[in-house]
Amino acid sequence: MMKIKMRDKLRKWREENFRNSEQIVDVGEELINEHASKLGDDIWIIYEQVMIAALDCSRDDLAWSCLQELKRQFPDSHRVKRLAGMRLEALERYEDANKLYDSILQDDPTNTAARKRKISILRAQGKSSEAIRELNEYLEQFVGDQEAWHELSELYINEHDYAKAAFCLEELMMTNPHNHLYCEQYGEVKYTQGGLENLELARKYFAQALKLNNRNMRALFGLYMSASHVAASPKVSAKVKKDNVKYAAWAASQISRAYQVRRVREENVKCSAHGITKAVYTVAMVHNVNIIHL
Amino acid sequence: MAEPELLLDSNIRLWVVLPIVFITFLVGVIRHYVSILLQSDKKLTLEQVSDSQVLIRSRVLRENGKYIPKQSFLMRKFFFNNQEDGFFKKTKRKVVPPSPMTDPSMLTDMMKGNVTNVLPMILIGGWINWTFSGFVTTKVPFPLTLRFKPMLQQGIELLSLDASWVSSASWYFLNVFGLRSMYSLILGQDNGADQSRIMQEQMSGAAMAMPADTNKAFKAEWEALELTDHQWALENVEEDLMSKDLDLSGIEKDILITD
Repeated sequence: MMKIKMRDKLRKWREENFRNSEQIVDVGEELINEHASKLGDDIWIIYEQVMIAALDCSRDDLAWSCLQELKRQFPDSHRVKRLAGMRLEALERYEDANKLYDSILQDDPTNTAARKRKISILRAQGKSSEAIRELNEYLEQFVGDQEAWHELSELYINEHDYAKAAFCLEELMMTNPHNHLYCEQYGEVKYTQGGLENLELARKYFAQALKLNNRNMRALFGLYMSASHVAASPKVSAKVKKDNVKYAAWAASQISRAYQVRRVREENVKCSAHGITKAVYTVAMVHNVNIIHL
Repeated sequence: MAEPELLLDSNIRLWVVLPIVFITFLVGVIRHYVSILLQSDKKLTLEQVSDSQVLIRSRVLRENGKYIPKQSFLMRKFFFNNQEDGFFKKTKRKVVPPSPMTDPSMLTDMMKGNVTNVLPMILIGGWINWTFSGFVTTKVPFPLTLRFKPMLQQGIELLSLDASWVSSASWYFLNVFGLRSMYSLILGQDNGADQSRIMQEQMSGAAMAMPADTNKAFKAEWEALELTDHQWALENVEEDLMSKDLDLSGIEKDILITD
């Protein structure tokens, strides 16, 4: 059982980009030590996967041995050099890692992996403004790199530059229109920016996220909050206010439904559904809520 | 004109028809692996990679622009198509048509293509013609005119023989084209043994000029983007959403990870 199941598990984790590094290290180490000869050519990609997981778990011994095997098999490979650089990063030898990545880039200027590692070094050292600048330059060349757009949006959110974060999330939403998580993050950024227009946009995007995935509780709460804030704002017309109160009430009813469904299955839920419902309706009734953003 | 059917020695089937099939197939497989070995790395420049991604972004903007707010869509459209300094208006790439004489890598590619494909076909065709000559191999199931006789009946000097009866050389060529689908079954799509595909490529490759493409592609994208309008998909999303209760099945399991 063991060998095939372990190999399949590793493949699943690799393809779906899981980050369960400890499990990967356990399974991978056993696979490498016991069954190395029987894996054939698969072994190289398993070495790579296990090495990255080992770096995550601070297992430098395992990482070093994997790297040695890979270096022996592929002496001039850029991919292996990048792994060597990652190990140097894990040991916090950032200067050496940077030199290594620069040599890769001299050889092959289109190598995206080396550039992205350099940016992550800047981020690890805490130099976020430089990281932002480098990432912007990178994205000017490689406009299609979605991982990079997401990273940039995170960096901007950390710097509280919500307008630019919104721009990055828009890029992501365009390339992945069916991903409810991007819609929801965008709604949250718009909500945080504040202002009547942004709140309305936020409400729309929370609704879209819910449409794409009915079970997204965060989007449901977001919908409720943004609708009630718009309804409570003094600048809106009566019709808009009425509509938003309706939306907020609908959201509240869905929330209580969700908690009830949850409670039926799970008897020992900590917060009672009744308590939540009461709190939610109370807030909805109050119109003179202290609004910070408007 | 009805003729008495010729009865062929069954040894022909055993020693001629089947060996030719095997030989053609094996030669095809060997060609596939040789073409993999001789493949040269295509190095792309940074500019090419960047341009292709920009084109993709513009296409995505056209197709999915309706999911982002109107203001953002207009901002991006302006960035690309602005009269003075829009990206598509401003960027002009240098056009260098790759003629085989000046571009050494293309020359070697062409040579390799010829060596791996045309040469074996000629050699083996000739060898088969020489070995299996002097007798009729098989009959094609449809009637042919007399014009085909010298082509298909190499080495058989019979004036009265129906042109449907063919020699081994023509059976070989029939195999070369017929085994194409077998190759895609066994070697997967895009294999190096696919003769007719390569010949098609050679014919269309002569008519195509790659780098001029970038400027033309930019112009085409500019036009397409000018025509695109923003129809916001989220206009009535709240009404659509609230028309029915949420489907909360599966919410009792902790499977939603909002990270």
